[in-house]
Amino acid sequence: MARTASTAAHWRAALACMAVALLLLSAPPRAAAQAVDDPLEPLNRAIFQFNVIVDGTILKPVTQLYGFAVPDPAKRGVTNFLQNLRAPIVFANQILQGEREQAGITLGRFMVNTTFGLLGLIDFANYFGIPPREEADFGQTLGVYGIGAGPYLVLPLLGPSTVRDATGIAVDAFILDPTIYFTDTPMRLARFGITAVDTRYRYGPLIDDLQANSLDFYVAARSAFLQNREAQIRGNGAGLGEEYESIFDDPLDEESFDDPLHEE
Amino acid sequence: MIRSTRNEAQRGFWRRRSLLAAAALGVALPWLPAGAAASVPDAESFIRQIGDEVMVILTDQSKNDAQKLTELKTMLDSYTDIDLISRLVLGRYWKTASDEERDDYVKLFHELLMKTLAARLGDYNGQTFEIVGSQQVSKVDSTVATKIIRVAGKPPLKVDWRVRDKDGNFAIIDVVAEGVSLVVSQRNEVGSIVERDGMPGLIAAMRERRDALL
Repeated sequence: MARTASTAAHWRAALACMAVALLLLSAPPRAAAQAVDDPLEPLNRAIFQFNVIVDGTILKPVTQLYGFAVPDPAKRGVTNFLQNLRAPIVFANQILQGEREQAGITLGRFMVNTTFGLLGLIDFANYFGIPPREEADFGQTLGVYGIGAGPYLVLPLLGPSTVRDATGIAVDAFILDPTIYFTDTPMRLARFGITAVDTRYRYGPLIDDLQANSLDFYVAARSAFLQNREAQIRGNGAGLGEEYESIFDDPLDEESFDDPLHEE
Repeated sequence: MIRSTRNEAQRGFWRRRSLLAAAALGVALPWLPAGAAASVPDAESFIRQIGDEVMVILTDQSKNDAQKLTELKTMLDSYTDIDLISRLVLGRYWKTASDEERDDYVKLFHELLMKTLAARLGDYNGQTFEIVGSQQVSKVDSTVATKIIRVAGKPPLKVDWRVRDKDGNFAIIDVVAEGVSLVVSQRNEVGSIVERDGMPGLIAAMRERRDALL
């Protein structure tokens, strides 16, 4: 009974999110090179700062310990298990996007790895020669349906997102994820924590690199996130659009045309 | 007045470059098939050649990291047009910047790029690359799509190279990794700093970053 009630609450929450998002996001997807849509920048910067501090004081040290203490095969097992757990979400979204071939790969991998791969700990599908899985999520599905990203958002603990993608996260977590129907809160928190460590472990060097080599880490992270998301939504082969093409005119060439007009 | 002097210098530079290009073309012309205007396959072989050279350097057991870095820096200098990239990154702010600001900016941009390369050298662990295809995207530019192949089970990284054909001289002017363009990213960063703190603020921030990376 209690579970039914909480499920209904999840549905309501997710539907409310979707309704709000659909209202906000009537604009078409914006090109990567266009001016960024970040009206909440001051708030986003504060949350970003908070995330950087949480990362530096908790996540990064824990991840370093994890990297040092846990043997590599076990770490691979963790990654495999968590990715296999996400398979139903990926599958559902690939179906929603009409990506039948990719959905087939996702389903095949899930069946092989859940059985022969001992609940996903071993990536057995790899030995069977099944190609690597493409990722998919509901934010991407909305994007594929032509819904724009909306304002940029930095979520506490979850990091860079947009109104559309945050909606996607809620739909993935509370509707499309089958584990929601047979897990309790401590189990979900444990999964969230382990996922954070696993992700930080795998992408840590990339994040550290961006932080070390950027003039403004906030802007660098925002730019990389938004461009990468647009690419995931465009899919393979598509160009970056006219907006992108327009930035390749050398300012020096234009100047020689301008020069006769304003001689200094 | 100062600016037009500078432009004279720039034009002279390009004139020399075009002279060289013309000379090169004169030598190469007899071997070119008739109507070889399409530079797409050339851009592709240009990237292939660079990729092969980089692989040779990275996998050379007889060289230490410092030697590898020196060779890679030389390659980066000759195969990319860093001055042009820096101008594209500054975009419309280039026009309003003073000559001195431009010189400082281009120099710092160059230094930072080299330092970033040094920091990334350690990331290499056995990746290989594959050319996927190429297409002409404008009168002077082509993009060459490549795949960086990592360990088994991990999907390959998609990396596109934008190559400018300047009278037969090829130069890389952008790298797009998994949809993230170097030029767009840097434009966003540089733009946000110039909007907030002006050109002097940008140059100060770049200087600070360079000194931190020493």
